[in-house]
Amino acid sequence: MNHQMRVYESCFELLPSEANPSPMVRINRPSPSPEFTLYAKLEWMNPFGSVKDRAAWAMLRDLEERGEVSPTRGIVEPTSGNTGISLAAMARARGYHMRAVVPNRVPLEKKVLLKIVGAELDVVNDELCPAPGVGDGSINLAKTHAKAQRDRYVMPNQYENQMNIRAHETTTGPEIWRQTEGRITHLFVSLGTCGTVTGASRFLRGKKPGVKVIAVQPTEGHDVPGLRNVRQLEATKLFDPSLIDEILEVDYELAYTRALDLCRTEGMLAGPSSGLILEGARRIIERDRAGFGVMVFPDNVFKYVSNMIKHIPDLAAGTQA
Amino acid sequence: MAAYAHPEVLVETDWVKENLGKPNIKLIEIDVDTKAYDAGHIPGAVGFNWQTQLQDQVRRDIISKEAFEKLLSDAGVSPDDTVVLYGDNNNWFAAYGFWLFKMYGHRDVRLMNGGRVKWLNEPDKQLVTDRPAIKPTQYRAPAIHDEYRARLPEVMEASGGGRMNLVDVRSPDEFTGKIIAPPGLNETAQRAGHIPGARSVPWSTAVNADGTFKSADDLRSIYLNQAGVDPNKDTIAYCRIGERSSHTWFVLKYLVGLNNVKNYDGSWTEYGNLIGAAIER
Repeated sequence: MNHQMRVYESCFELLPSEANPSPMVRINRPSPSPEFTLYAKLEWMNPFGSVKDRAAWAMLRDLEERGEVSPTRGIVEPTSGNTGISLAAMARARGYHMRAVVPNRVPLEKKVLLKIVGAELDVVNDELCPAPGVGDGSINLAKTHAKAQRDRYVMPNQYENQMNIRAHETTTGPEIWRQTEGRITHLFVSLGTCGTVTGASRFLRGKKPGVKVIAVQPTEGHDVPGLRNVRQLEATKLFDPSLIDEILEVDYELAYTRALDLCRTEGMLAGPSSGLILEGARRIIERDRAGFGVMVFPDNVFKYVSNMIKHIPDLAAGTQA
Repeated sequence: MAAYAHPEVLVETDWVKENLGKPNIKLIEIDVDTKAYDAGHIPGAVGFNWQTQLQDQVRRDIISKEAFEKLLSDAGVSPDDTVVLYGDNNNWFAAYGFWLFKMYGHRDVRLMNGGRVKWLNEPDKQLVTDRPAIKPTQYRAPAIHDEYRARLPEVMEASGGGRMNLVDVRSPDEFTGKIIAPPGLNETAQRAGHIPGARSVPWSTAVNADGTFKSADDLRSIYLNQAGVDPNKDTIAYCRIGERSSHTWFVLKYLVGLNNVKNYDGSWTEYGNLIGAAIER
């Protein structure tokens, strides 16, 4: 492995670490205050395309070390796409089967990508009728496979697995600390499994207790894959409110329009969850005026073409002869 | 703390575990997600598909008495068996199955409190993929209880007169007419809104986060005190196609203990398609 020359013996050597951090790029144009420096950490530069490379790798290595996974005992995992894509690509490269249980509303691109990287796909209609504790058919179906077929599947369970937190505590947090040379004052993240916020916040606050940790979440009834509204967080066991200073709720349509802004004004091909985080960061910057912020941008826009069209119908205009 | 009016219609997951394999206790899983049974079920449980096995495939109707008898014969059920139903979405379709079993007079049918999610999340409970070996029976439906079912003329009367309680168990957005049906569902109506005079109590109000039913006190408070259901009147529950409302029918009839409760299975997909019917939003 040679990070300087960027020559590697396998894709796994590209995984992010303090020595090989995902890039941080400054946001130049849409800044409400010149005294506030704002950077985005581009997690789509990770080898399997998203922030989920970190949790997927940590969970897979842990399973390997504990002898829980083998060529005859694969992985089953509920996923809105990114964890599944990272896990499936890694698992298949190491010779394991991967079954991904996916909510129906996940965009087609992600479902097809899961198949491209070799996952077996179960699509679940998750949102038939709002009810307490039952909106997580994908989690329940994955648990069912893992329980009924213990000999064939192990479920990493990103919603409960401490390795998800550990991954961010040992990579994302230290990378940001090093890349900002300790100047960070604000961390902006979204909430899904809460692995990123819990792990990165734990590390950064350990280094500098005053770092403000701001989580941005979409309004209820949202259509931003991978994210959870606070009222949906009962599904995850990794949510620790003591490590978060503020939770901002942002109209989920802004996730799509802000992602478009990033693509068109920054040359940053960010997906909707990044758009949502940017909107949250802008609101805090307007209030706090000065600081050094880092946003963790989970993935890029390529997987959301159909969702972008759904929310910004004008994008489809003129695409047919 | 008050008890349920008919506690005998509910069994707990531990009871099911203790009674696994008993010859006169039959387990049947009925899910919204018809893939769930194949992925894993309680040992010995038979799976029914609500789309293909509990509804007439030609007319819009519940299955006929003959079809019900064949279904239960093939599932190895006898009229004297204790049938325990369970399913996903907090027993949503299991409750529909319960209503059907009662319509055809099966004496001892029960719901497993908490449904498949509760069983799934309890470490001492097993799931299997093997289908059980079945010894077919010659099931004959003991009776027909059409009085558990509300038809349109009765609903019209209930709407106008105030003589009956009408309970709309759909989501608030369906009740107010913001949407006609939950996203992605095919069965729908021409118009959105609710039947005039109906009170909105979404079906899921009756369940706890772990999937079990709320306590008798809580249920009485929700339906009688907060929603204003008059326990001295007859009651009709409805939803979109009659399945969520069978859940509320179960709650009102067996847990709260109202006297005369009916499930209007025509529900909004019938009412919302009528020419000239009054609609509130």
